[in-house]
Order: sequence, then structure tokens, then C-alpha cells
Amino acid sequence: MRKILLLVAVVAACGRGLEPEPICARSLVGLCGTVRFRGAVPANTENVFIAAYLAVPQTCTELINNRRPVIPGSVPFTDSLAAYSVPLDPGAYHWVLAVWKKPGTLTLSPADTQYLRVAGYYRDPADSTQRGVATVPSGSAVSNIDFVVNFDSLRPATDFVTCTAQ
Amino acid sequence: MHRAIATLLLVVAPLRAAAQGIVRGTVRDKDGAPISSASIAIPGTTLSTRSDLQGAYRLAVVPAGRVRVYAAALGYGPIDTTVALTGGDSTIVDFILSPAPLALPPVDVVSDRVPHFGDRPATSVGQVTERELGRRAVNTVDEALEHVAGVQMVNGQTNVRGSTGYVQGLNSRVLMTVDGVPMNQGDRGGINWDLLALDEIESVQILKGAGSSLYGSAAFGGVINVTTRDVPTGFHTGLRLTGGVYGDPPHPVWRFRDNPGMLGGADFSASYGTDVFGGRISGGDRHSDGYRQQDQDDHLHFGARGRWQHANTRVDFSGAWAADRYDVPLSWCSRGECDDKGQVFQPFKVDTTERGARTDSRKAFLMARVRTTVSPRFAWTARGSWLRTHFVDVRRSATEFGIGDRFGVAGQIEAHPDPARTVIVGTEATYSTVTSDIFGSHSQSEFAAYGQSEQRLGPARVSGGARVDFLAIDGGSLTAVVSPRVGATLNGAGGATWRASIGRGFRSPTMAERFVHTTALGFDVVPNPTLLPEVSWSFEIGHTTAPLFRFMRLDAALFWTEARDLIEPQVLLIPPDTVKIQLQNVVRARIAGFDASLIAAPIPDRLVATLGYTFLDTRRRLAGDSTEGPLAFRPRHLLLVGADYTLGTLGVGADFRFASRPERIELEGFVDPRRVPVRVLDLRAAWKPSNGPVEVRLLAANVLNYIYNLVPETLAPVRTVALTAVWTH
Repeated sequence: MRKILLLVAVVAACGRGLEPEPICARSLVGLCGTVRFRGAVPANTENVFIAAYLAVPQTCTELINNRRPVIPGSVPFTDSLAAYSVPLDPGAYHWVLAVWKKPGTLTLSPADTQYLRVAGYYRDPADSTQRGVATVPSGSAVSNIDFVVNFDSLRPATDFVTCTAQ
Repeated sequence: MHRAIATLLLVVAPLRAAAQGIVRGTVRDKDGAPISSASIAIPGTTLSTRSDLQGAYRLAVVPAGRVRVYAAALGYGPIDTTVALTGGDSTIVDFILSPAPLALPPVDVVSDRVPHFGDRPATSVGQVTERELGRRAVNTVDEALEHVAGVQMVNGQTNVRGSTGYVQGLNSRVLMTVDGVPMNQGDRGGINWDLLALDEIESVQILKGAGSSLYGSAAFGGVINVTTRDVPTGFHTGLRLTGGVYGDPPHPVWRFRDNPGMLGGADFSASYGTDVFGGRISGGDRHSDGYRQQDQDDHLHFGARGRWQHANTRVDFSGAWAADRYDVPLSWCSRGECDDKGQVFQPFKVDTTERGARTDSRKAFLMARVRTTVSPRFAWTARGSWLRTHFVDVRRSATEFGIGDRFGVAGQIEAHPDPARTVIVGTEATYSTVTSDIFGSHSQSEFAAYGQSEQRLGPARVSGGARVDFLAIDGGSLTAVVSPRVGATLNGAGGATWRASIGRGFRSPTMAERFVHTTALGFDVVPNPTLLPEVSWSFEIGHTTAPLFRFMRLDAALFWTEARDLIEPQVLLIPPDTVKIQLQNVVRARIAGFDASLIAAPIPDRLVATLGYTFLDTRRRLAGDSTEGPLAFRPRHLLLVGADYTLGTLGVGADFRFASRPERIELEGFVDPRRVPVRVLDLRAAWKPSNGPVEVRLLAANVLNYIYNLVPETLAPVRTVALTAVWTH
């Protein structure tokens, strides 16, 4: 009986359960950083989320289908600065961007672009005119992927990719 | 043929043809305290009853002569005695039972739909007794089921040996019956655990494994039968008061309110009964602030029950009504969905877009049952029932509602052609309807017939039977499902028993599954009226040893289920660019495992310890896909450890539950995948003066305030300390 009670105590003591997980937690595999917000938040803003692409998409279909994660979490946009983190598989992501979304049901199809705008993206620290590459190492996260979102210059997807007529 | 007719006539020969008498008396323990809910029976016949709160019992229409009478109660050793009864006379037989914590449950009613006294079932049966319900100081019966080996509650859904998993509230692969009457919802197939007040419940039996050969649809993975308390003779009242407090989040960054959440409730009951009739009314109200943001719950219920007995006929009727208004914390707050304080997730808070979401729910049932004991060898039972559920989900984006009705009638014949054989034959009809803005307006009809025969052959008992179910949706064509089962038990030397059974299980898709039309995760969920029943074959072999090393009892079973056409949500890509979700029959699955329970009483009358362990190995394969993986929401290991120590009027106890982290969840990639093992320790204490009217119980559930979730983005209960006072007169 004592052994059983001891076993229970040990098993119970070993369990830590769910714990607070700050942005850029040690356990994160993905990327994290901060987003600085500029401009006036449009009244019809539903949310802002961070998306990443292993290869820069060329078409609307690639823009929608190759997005990681498929269902992204949102970033609080009411403050001027927000920390974010995105769980991702290891790899080199050639486009990390903030996406603005207005109300509407996403269907994981090119038609989604009607609700979405590119709000800003991570730039190469050595040449801010170029996209930056964020490399997620195996088993950990890449940090300091910081960039700016400007609500006054939200850009449609067609500024970046080719969308054929739907 | 002539012999068969003669046998039938002999079996149904009315009682008045032979001299008969009454056996009455009391069942008490060695200190003279009454033992309620003890089973008293004339073995091998249709004659049985249970003792009331004073331990009194009465068996009418007992054939005159030398009569064998059997009495047993859980936790006590059984007594089997023979008395002489004169026709037209009444004989008093008082039983004094001695404590025997290793004694097996004296009655099994769930595995064969007729009470078996002292016989071991061919399938595994778990039991929660009235004493355990009281000892655990729970508010609803499902809280007590978590302490049965092989059973796990997942967000209100019952998992018996890994059968159900978690199916987002659209079905259940476990059937719930109340005194044998099916109580799964007519529209969604789920179970309303709070429809019955706890004080109405005498015991709960859990049939593990497929039970469709007797119970039909939904008994795919098991059957949970709730036996309600009979109305005792005399005038009785009861009052239960509960008050408690929820623990704060263990980390300051998760705090979401300034004051701790509270809970409280009051229940009352009053009854009056004579040998001929009896009635009881009960009611209660509960309020809970909840343990997380937007988690308030208000519950109100009323119940009534009556019985009338005349000669060899007994009529029972009961009903209940319950109303709930509860907040809906649909999912916890992920980054950006609330004031997240720089955290990736806030498990105690909700997504602000769902602030104000709530559900108003009303449910009610009525049932009536007539049982006539035509002779000690023949009895028939008929019953009718109606279950209604009505919910309104109030959300910011939309308001949804559903009204489900389930009407049922059934008849069953129980025959004992000779003391070694039992035969039951029955038929059932169920008509279910739903009216809802997400399920539409539909109906489902079910007709069934079943039969089972059981034969004792020396130390062995062999049973076999089958049930055929016909299902029709919206008055369309019938789908037939045949569910056979065979089983055997063998009593070995030294109290050892072997058992084996194989049976078929099936579950008809619920109307909610067929016709649901809503939006989930941003996608349209479209109906699939062509869904087929899920089917399975379930096999088990088990062994019970008692006593083991003089102070222990061991029960162990190996089980194996092969299932096909399991229903799961599938993503449909509809050209050119549309994505929808639809429920489809796409999964083949294997659920194999082992469960064992050990009870030890090293210090008789004082210390009782229990250990339960279940190992699950599941395999899931999608149609048209050769890759395999585990079924979702099935932990590989379940462990239960408990101990109770009693000293005079005081008792203390502890329970520990462990479930390993499920290897897989559904919709992974679309929902927060965070999940951890379950490690929950409950402590309890009770004070009960002998023969006094008051009992006080203290329960500290999840005393270590272990923070965990069983389904994605849904926090499981945190530390809760509750004090319950029960007064009975």
C-alpha cells in the first residue's frame, strides 16, 4: 500500500500540466518577433495575422494553398506594438507577411483574396527593399523577425501575385 | 411440438393455479443498521426485489413449499437460505449480512436485461454504487463514472474502452438507459447527465463492449444503465445542501477575476409509500460561477416518481424536467483573441468574439412501466417513454435552436422454463423527430426484435441471442441490422471465474449527423443523408479471482473490437475552388486492449484500496488509404488508484486519475494542438454518525490544481473544494 501511495505521489508530482507560454516560448518551433502598427485601423478590420511561405508565391492559388499555417492565429492590432509567434515546420521561409482581413468566410480558395490585404512583410535587414528570409531551425524558433504594418497602405494580393479570373 | 406447447403452458401457468405466499423481512448489518438497496431474490425465478431505506423487503406471490431465498448487497457477503412457506401465509426472513469488501457486485442487470443474482456476467460490467456516489460527493453521475476502470469522460462524452473518443456533441457510441429505458437524445444522440437528480439514483452499471444484441443502436461501445431509487414505505424527506469554491489559476498571468468563483445548490425530496403504492417528488437548484471566464451555469430540476402494486402486477411511472442556462466558453483565448498579456494562449479566458455566448436548455422525460409476474417462471414487462430536449444557442454571429423528441414503446417477456434456463424475448419501437435551424425537420423510426437464451451447464453458463433492428429516415426505405452475441462464464475452483463473449455492435447515425448544416472553422458543414450505420465486432475474454492472497480481488479482461464505417468529418474539395466539411463513413478501426481492476482490503472494515488500469491500442485507417494511425482522443494508458480509510464515524479517502496524452486529435492543424496527460488527485472526508440523520462530506477535487485539457482549447476543471450536508428523515 505504501508503494502504491508513493507511486501516486511521484506520478502526481511529475505532472506540470499546461503552463504559461509567452510569445517566443522555449518550446516554440517556428518564428517570432514584433509587429509595429502605423496608420488608422480600418473600421472593417476583422483581424491581422501572420503568414509564411517557403517559396514566394507566384499565383493566387499558391498564395492561398501554400500559406503556413493554414489557419493562422491573429495578432492584437489595437496597440502600436505587438509581439507574435507562429508555429511552423523547420525550413527557410522566403516571405513572412502580415495579412489584414475584413469580415467574410474563408474557403481556402483564390476567392479568399477578396477579404485579404497584404499589410506588411519582413524585410532583409541588410537591404530593406528586399524580402527577408526567416530560417526556422529544427526543434527551435527564429526570433527577431520584426516588421511594420501600415494600415494606410494595405495592398491587394494582385500587387504581388497573378490571379486569373475566378 | 406437443412437448413444446406443454412446456409453454406450464411456464405461463398463472399463479393462482398454485398455492403461494409472501416472504418479507429486513436486511441489516451486524450492528443492526438497515442495509438499503440489498437484493433479495428467489433464484431461478422471476421473483426479486430490493430492500428500502429501512432495509425492509417484501416478495409476493412466492410458490408455497421449501423456498430458497437469496440476499446480497454490495460490500457484504451474500446469504442463501431455504425457508418453508405455506400457501396463503406470510413468512418473515430477516437477513444479517457481514461486511465483505471483496464481494462481487451481487446483481448484474445490464448485461442480460434481466437481473442475475450472484451470477457473473459473460461480459465485463463496472458498477458505481449508491455508497460510492455519496462518498465521492459528486453533483452529477458522470463525475462518478470517471472512477470506473476502462471509462473516461471526455468533455461530457463517455468513452468506454476507447469507443467514443470525442465527437463534438453530435453522437455517442455509448447508450444510456434509465431503469432500462434508452435516454440518448432523439436528435443528437448525446446524454443529458443532469436530467436525473443524484438523490434519485441508486446505482449505475456499465456494460463494457458492444451491447447491440439486446440494446440496439448506440450500444456500440457499451451501455450505462442507471437504476433509480425505489419509493420506500413510510414517510421520508431529504435535503442536500452544497457549497464550494473554485481554485484560482495557479499562475498570476492567467488570473481573470478578483474573487474566487463559487458554487452552491440545494436539493430536496419527499416520499410516502405503502406496500401498495408510493410516490416521491424532488427538486433542486444549482448555481456555479464556473472556473473560467464566461462559465456561469444555473440549473433547476424537478422530478416525480410513483409506484403501484397489486397482486402480481407492478406499475412504475416517473418523470423529470430540468432547465439550464449556461455560458458557453467555446474555446480558450489564443493569441490576439483577448487581453492575452503577452501569452500564446490564455486557458481561463475566452475569445472576445464569443463574449456573451450562452445556451438555454430544457429537457424532460416521462416513462411508465408495467411488470406482471404471471408465475415464478414467467413475467412480462411493457413500457412507454418520451424524452424531449430543447436547446437555444445564443451566439454573437447567429442563434441556433433544436427541439428533439424521442418516443419509445417496448415489451419484453422473461421466462425460466426450468431453474437452469432463462429466456427473454422483446420488441421495441422508437420514433424520433428533430426541428432545428441547423438540422432541419426530420424523423427517424426504429423497430427491433430481440431474443436471448441462457443455459446453466454445471459450473458453466452459456448464453446466445440476437437482435434485428430496422431503421427508416423520414419515412423512407428500411435499413436492417442484425446484431448477434454469444457468451459464456465458467466458475472455477476457489472463487475464480472465466468469461468470454463475442458480439456485434452498431450505431445508427443521428439525425444531427445526417442533416447538420452549419459553419465550423470558417467552412460550410454540409449534410450527408446517405450515412450508413457504424458496425463492429467486439470480443473479450476475462477472469476474476477472489480472494487473491486472502485480501484482494482481481478482475482482468482482454478486449478486441473491429469496427468499420465509422463516421468522421471529411474535407471536400469541390471544383473549382470550394471547400466544405461533411461527415462520412470512412474509417475502419481496431480497438484492442487490456483492463484490470484490483481491490484490496488489508485491514477489513477500515482500509480499502482500489487500482484500475486500462491499456488501449487503437488503429485507424481511412477508406482508400493504406496508412494507419491511432484513433483520436484515445489515451493509451488509463490508471485509477484509490483508497478509503474509515475510523468510527469518520472516513477519509483519496483518488488519483491518470490518462496519457492522446497521440492524435481530430482536425489537427486547424485547432490548437496543445494537450497534456491527465493527472488529477481528489481528496475527500466524510462524517456520519451511526444511524444519525445528518451526513457531512468534504471533497477537494483536483487538489493539486493540475491544469489540463481533454479536448482542444477547452480547459478541464480546476481545483474545486465543496462541502455537502445531507439530511434524511
